[in-house]
Amino acid sequence: MIIKTKIENLKNYKIYLNVEQATHEFFQKKGYLKVDLPVLSPALIPESYLEVFETEFRYFDKREKLYLTPSPELFLKRLLVAGVGNCYYLGKSFRNSEPNSSFHSPEFTMLEFYKVGATYLELADEILDIMKFISSSLSFRAKSRNPIQSPMREISPLAALGRNDSDIIYKGKKISFEKWEKFTVAKAFDKFCQISKEELFDENLFLKRAQEKGYAISYSSSPESKFGINSVDNPDKNRDRQARTINFSYQDVFSQILSQEVEPKLGKNGYPTLLYDYPAEMSSLAKLNKDRKTAKRVEFYIDGIEIGGCCEELNDWHEQKKRFDDQIEKRDRFHMKNHAVDNGFIETLQYGLPDCTGAGIGFERLAMIFVDAQSIGKLKLINVK
Amino acid sequence: MKVNAGNLKKGDFIRYQNEIWQVQKAEFYSPGKGSALMKTRIKNLLSVKNVDYTFKSNEQVDIVDVESIEMQYLYKDAENLHFMDERTYQQFTVPIQLVGKAANFLQEGNKFFVYFHQEKPLSVKPPMSVRLKVVETEDAIKGDTVTGAKKPAKLETGVVIHVPLFVKVGDIVVVNPESGEYVERVKE
Repeated sequence: MIIKTKIENLKNYKIYLNVEQATHEFFQKKGYLKVDLPVLSPALIPESYLEVFETEFRYFDKREKLYLTPSPELFLKRLLVAGVGNCYYLGKSFRNSEPNSSFHSPEFTMLEFYKVGATYLELADEILDIMKFISSSLSFRAKSRNPIQSPMREISPLAALGRNDSDIIYKGKKISFEKWEKFTVAKAFDKFCQISKEELFDENLFLKRAQEKGYAISYSSSPESKFGINSVDNPDKNRDRQARTINFSYQDVFSQILSQEVEPKLGKNGYPTLLYDYPAEMSSLAKLNKDRKTAKRVEFYIDGIEIGGCCEELNDWHEQKKRFDDQIEKRDRFHMKNHAVDNGFIETLQYGLPDCTGAGIGFERLAMIFVDAQSIGKLKLINVK
Repeated sequence: MKVNAGNLKKGDFIRYQNEIWQVQKAEFYSPGKGSALMKTRIKNLLSVKNVDYTFKSNEQVDIVDVESIEMQYLYKDAENLHFMDERTYQQFTVPIQLVGKAANFLQEGNKFFVYFHQEKPLSVKPPMSVRLKVVETEDAIKGDTVTGAKKPAKLETGVVIHVPLFVKVGDIVVVNPESGEYVERVKE
């Protein structure tokens, strides 16, 4: 990786700062407590898909493992148990094995907030309010800076088509935050990839259907495939290596089909799209719906890109412990680094997490929409890539 | 040879659904909650169609072994670029559509690398940059000093690109053949 100075991004960066300021204003107005949190932690929540950054605290002979937090969740939930009420964090989070790309950076800015007593669909509507608020406040700034000429963003011909104050233009298309376009996950899989509800919620049927559609559901780690053609000429060397078939998990295949066939259709019709009621397997920290198959989780999309989501937080500590164990077992199975598990978190839950919904938003991705930038890198003055 | 899809990069040739494709774009992508993926745009070398396909980042993908051989670029007709292997004088053709935009920036008579798989030409490896002479462009209007202002200029291969106002007929410019963007003016 190298360090690059990108002073040409100064204009974008200034809009980013305005988005950030508007976000703080919104939460202040709504009475959320702003919380600053550590990014180094001695233990984390186990989630089967997350790779983490590991470091070490040193003092003479003393050594202690520390991790860069992949999300502020375990800290904020502790505070919720302690009775802090509605709160939010806007700051850095870290995810390993996520190389830089248009929509990814191993080090990114996370907006995470919790509202006590709110359902997941209620909080989703508040996310819409945040976007409306940011948009109006940017447009207000632009106008007050230049009261005679209309602001830059409105030069587009689309501006004439009955634009609301909180509408924005992203990649040449108008996006309105007046409402969500909504699909349940089951409806979206049925509509966009002809996968029925029965198939979606049954692991075996789902993998079978995926295979019919041409997706790989397993792979063979035979000596040939691992060491190239040469090993065929030298079978002795590889005699002890046994070919074995490794199955992809439900999560792997679900994520792939969602990305390939569903996401490109979301957030394309002038409104952000809300996808809700995810399969329980995809939501290790969310409460389940009455059907026990779906979790109270939503994600929202603009122009095919997932920006963030929220879920009703699981507060049954027995269930949470069970799911943690399950995630740890999965991490073992897929040979991921097992970090120290935050068991204190389970203990804390025993004191009672209030009924609440928590939301997480990739803040750079959100800001990209308002800056009309095509990649995270375009928002930064200093890039490490 | 098999690699994890997470390691695919632009320019790789892969075998997918029993056909050969070239990776045009490969971007890592991971949902907030879910498994890591590799979003690619791949071009089918037979149909010349681009397809967007998302691989699981830990999915094994077949990499096609290709050889790149330096050849002289002779000329182009309506559909193909014609190359000659200077060692054997054997001639080969590569469809223009496979090479894409970069085909407009290849100067006849120069040498370029052609990709081969099992003795068949697959595509041309576009050079990082090409130097071409400007054959037609209007003189800049005096006093027009807006920074970053551009004007059209025709290069010796016939392609028209946008160049800064100070560029004159007869100048040599460096161009990125894949993006078609002006890089700099060079002294001869």
